[in-house]
Amino acid sequence: MGSARLKLVRDETHDPAAAFASVPHGDPSPQRVRLADAAVQCITRQGIAKTTLDDVARAARCSRATVYRVFPGGKDGLISAVVDTEVARFFSALALRMGAASDLEDVLVTGITEAARRITEHRALSFVLDNEPEVILPHLTFSHMDTILAVSSTFTAPFLGRFLDHDEAQRVAEWAARIVVSHLSCPADGVDLTDDARVRRLVRTFMLPGDSPDTRDTGPIRGRAPVTTHSGGVERMAPSPPSTRTRKGEAS
Amino acid sequence: MARWGLSKTTVEDAAREAGLSRATVYRYFPGGRDELVDAVVSWQYLQFFGRLYEEVHGATSLEEVLERGLLFARRQLLEHEVLQKMVQTEPEVLMPKLTVESNRTIGLISGFLVPYLHEHGVPDGLEVHEAADFLARMILSYIASPGRWDLSDPEEVRRLVRVELLPGVVGKAQIVDR
Repeated sequence: MGSARLKLVRDETHDPAAAFASVPHGDPSPQRVRLADAAVQCITRQGIAKTTLDDVARAARCSRATVYRVFPGGKDGLISAVVDTEVARFFSALALRMGAASDLEDVLVTGITEAARRITEHRALSFVLDNEPEVILPHLTFSHMDTILAVSSTFTAPFLGRFLDHDEAQRVAEWAARIVVSHLSCPADGVDLTDDARVRRLVRTFMLPGDSPDTRDTGPIRGRAPVTTHSGGVERMAPSPPSTRTRKGEAS
Repeated sequence: MARWGLSKTTVEDAAREAGLSRATVYRYFPGGRDELVDAVVSWQYLQFFGRLYEEVHGATSLEEVLERGLLFARRQLLEHEVLQKMVQTEPEVLMPKLTVESNRTIGLISGFLVPYLHEHGVPDGLEVHEAADFLARMILSYIASPGRWDLSDPEEVRRLVRVELLPGVVGKAQIVDR
């Protein structure tokens, strides 16, 4: 082994806010999204390596020149657009489901099962994981995984924030993201994260008992009543958060 | 591999370094370079967990096992020069290999924890193997990617163990101040 001190992986990006800011928020113009969708179709059939800009132009029924105009950087830019678009869709879908949940347990169960369903049913992602794992796996470990944890917990914390203090919401959101990534990359016998009942058991058994009087000073999970107003930026993506809906029995 | 990385290391390099002939290397590793590389990754991996095992072996409680294990494993990982180099330069080669190993690791960590869980007892309705699997995959996740936790700080590790790992597996009444 060499004796030189090598740069520690951890030094790269560790500030969650910086990590979140580093996520590309590309221009979501319709043409860009249309080409990204065409690229997803191609990737589902033949993977990332074999997909050419010609294939994408054909699938989008546009000219090669158009593809280059929208993505002057070529394929790398196109793939980034695919990731941006799919990640945005993933979190929007999560927002819809989590915004409709009525208590802490439900938010967690809904968030985890919806995330697992979206990920396992994503055909392009499945193709790449099966045939080109070296493209995806580096993003799921070490400091890259820290970025994913930061992004997912920053996104999902506002939904948990209806029931938990801010810090607790962040912590629990990260816990849920770890569960999802761990079970999807290394499935456990008998644990299907798309199964509501199974995930409910996981959440009830391992997550919610954190509410212990003996760990109070160290920050337990204490459920509290949902707050009545919230103006969190992300949460606005959910069309009908429960706090603004008519309660049961108050039907107009 | 520490010098040239994983992809650029040849069978000849390894033979020269070991003072052996190329033919000898092929006798032990008939699959050649690929087999040698896989063997190195597996071997390093087992060594890592062997040291981790030694580190936590004398611990007297589940809580102590978890605390000592997390602190030690994270430090080892950051100090592992070959691994750090490959994470930086050849993640696309290393990660698929580590992912294959991680299934085995969850089994190893989980098997190690089972006796502690049996001794401690788990809450009614929870199977020991289920608790062990949960702990193992969470531990692996924290070691590789600490996220919001600073695993170099013993106080923070203690909090992590008490807040995120223990409550579900030992029952909340069991966590008392030390």
